[in-house]
Amino acid sequence: MLVDAFLELLNLWVLVAALAGIVSGIIIGAIPGLGPTMAIALLIPVTFSMQPIPAIILLLGVYQGAIFGGSISAVLLNVPGTPSSAATAIDGFAMARRGEGGRALRFALYASVIGNIFSCLVLMALAEPLARFALDFGPAEMAMLMLFALLVIVLFGGGSKLDALIMVLVGACAGIVGLDPISGTPRFTFGSFAFENGFQLIPVLIGLFAMSEVLLQAFDREPLVGDAEVPPLKSSAVRFVELWRMRMTLFLSSLIGTFVGILPGIGSTVPAFMSYSLARSRSADPDAFGRGAPEGVAAPEAANNAVTGGALVPTLALGIPGDAVTAVILGAFMLHGLAPGPFLFRDHGLEVYAIFEALLLSSIPTVILGLLFFRVAIHVTRIQPRHLLPAITILAIFGAFSVNNSLFDVWVMLGAGVLGFLLRRANFPLPPLLIGLILGAPFEQSLRQALLTSGGGYGIFVGSPITIGLVALTVLSLAISLFFSLRKPRI
Amino acid sequence: MSTDGHGGGVARPGFRTLTAGLLLAAAAWGLYSLDSQIQVFGFGASGPDARSFPRLALWLLATVVALRLVLSLRSEDFPLGTPVRLGRVLTVTASSAAALWAMPQVGFFFGAAGAGIVVALMLGERRPLLLVLPLIVAAAVTFGGRHGLSIPLP
Repeated sequence: MLVDAFLELLNLWVLVAALAGIVSGIIIGAIPGLGPTMAIALLIPVTFSMQPIPAIILLLGVYQGAIFGGSISAVLLNVPGTPSSAATAIDGFAMARRGEGGRALRFALYASVIGNIFSCLVLMALAEPLARFALDFGPAEMAMLMLFALLVIVLFGGGSKLDALIMVLVGACAGIVGLDPISGTPRFTFGSFAFENGFQLIPVLIGLFAMSEVLLQAFDREPLVGDAEVPPLKSSAVRFVELWRMRMTLFLSSLIGTFVGILPGIGSTVPAFMSYSLARSRSADPDAFGRGAPEGVAAPEAANNAVTGGALVPTLALGIPGDAVTAVILGAFMLHGLAPGPFLFRDHGLEVYAIFEALLLSSIPTVILGLLFFRVAIHVTRIQPRHLLPAITILAIFGAFSVNNSLFDVWVMLGAGVLGFLLRRANFPLPPLLIGLILGAPFEQSLRQALLTSGGGYGIFVGSPITIGLVALTVLSLAISLFFSLRKPRI
Repeated sequence: MSTDGHGGGVARPGFRTLTAGLLLAAAAWGLYSLDSQIQVFGFGASGPDARSFPRLALWLLATVVALRLVLSLRSEDFPLGTPVRLGRVLTVTASSAAALWAMPQVGFFFGAAGAGIVVALMLGERRPLLLVLPLIVAAAVTFGGRHGLSIPLP
């Protein structure tokens, strides 16, 4: 399988897709305010006419490039291009101010690649066995698994649990619109045929992440990057021995990133700060952190890149997205006929392994292109939103239309944009909404199928070792969350 | 950024109150119109029907949003901003909606370019050369979409 998958990669279009994705990702990620989620959502329509393997590789290349690109403005301007780069900015900017910006970016790049390789290996090791295990899942098991995933997002996603619960429920309620998954009865369709397909994921994503950004910028109209001087970039290099000295930091950060990434809804910002704190606590010179310690740059970068592979484990094996970006990637997989879930590896094993190998091998062009492009990307950070957002508006309209060649989807995109603007201004988190939208309908379907099977008896949800295990995990998660909530005021 | 919510006073309503209020209104309307929007045909099956999950989800949403509103009464909110700032958002939304409404008649190019130019103006762009940029982007997207991706744009 691995050899056959590798042979699938020996195609010029795969190479072109990987290179184009990484370069676009570095440039987009370097522009503050334009994260990988928006970039991938807007680029999905471009992949419609492509084969599934190069299409997904292009989008994953954008993701990898954007995460590194986010560190460029974080290090040089102290303006994180992506939220997960905020931890990198602490020591990266301090290094840049003393003329070591080039070294900081090299540390960030090498750590990113190490984190990516580690998480890809974990992804290759875990995803297929997990999917094979999930093949035994019936509706009751799937319902309990999705309930657990939704609960984890609410309890451990960071921020207010009440806000996260509201967002999950908003997503689940939006998922109700359309035809009933069991009886096919129209629900909240207002007698319109267009509503019967429900709200499509891609137009909603484009609205929530791209159109809402346009509205936010129209509201704020403040440049994200001021007139601050970019510190001069001197010629510099990072020796292998310097990376070897921080091998444990890189390993532990990659481990944190990967395994936090597996948990749904947490994203890459939390593991980046967790790794930074761990690296500081383990350091022989913790006072150097915050004043330009290379390990302070490497730790968060290894962690936030390792999240990619980790978040893809539940996304591909179970169809449960790990964060907002993997929710977008899940949408891309579905559009290309590769429905994530337990059957993905059985039905499309070759394509999936080719994508895994490409993700692993793309570390090489990421290093080369990262070193080549970070000097170019410095100029990109100066682009003002007013130059870019009109084009994003046009691309958002085009992207939403092209999903089903329907203007109804563009109206959905615009509605999601207005909702996204209100929610973001009110500081409600968007990832739980997305995951609620994705999991709401399948959760209801599994729940009702299980109850139909049992004749309405709720005993089916504790009727097998798997469901008992999932119920135990759910109760344990609640207990842990409660424990930390009770402990908090005493600190 | 925030109104004065300290000292036990009631904070001035802002974006959080507005958004939570809209969500509560939507959930309440959903519950009110549930029976008319979802027809149920009983075939003698036991267990939940097509209305059960929506009813549960909407009740839960209404409850937690009401709780959020109560808890928000004495906490800081994000101010709604000046009428000028809100006006810019409304103008972008209205121009995009008008572009979509007119698109079947005027075509994708003119609709999208029009929306793009309004966005550029609302973001403060005044240089004529940069106001032409949305026209170029719209032309490139229209050409690429029709001929490169074979998408039947309006």
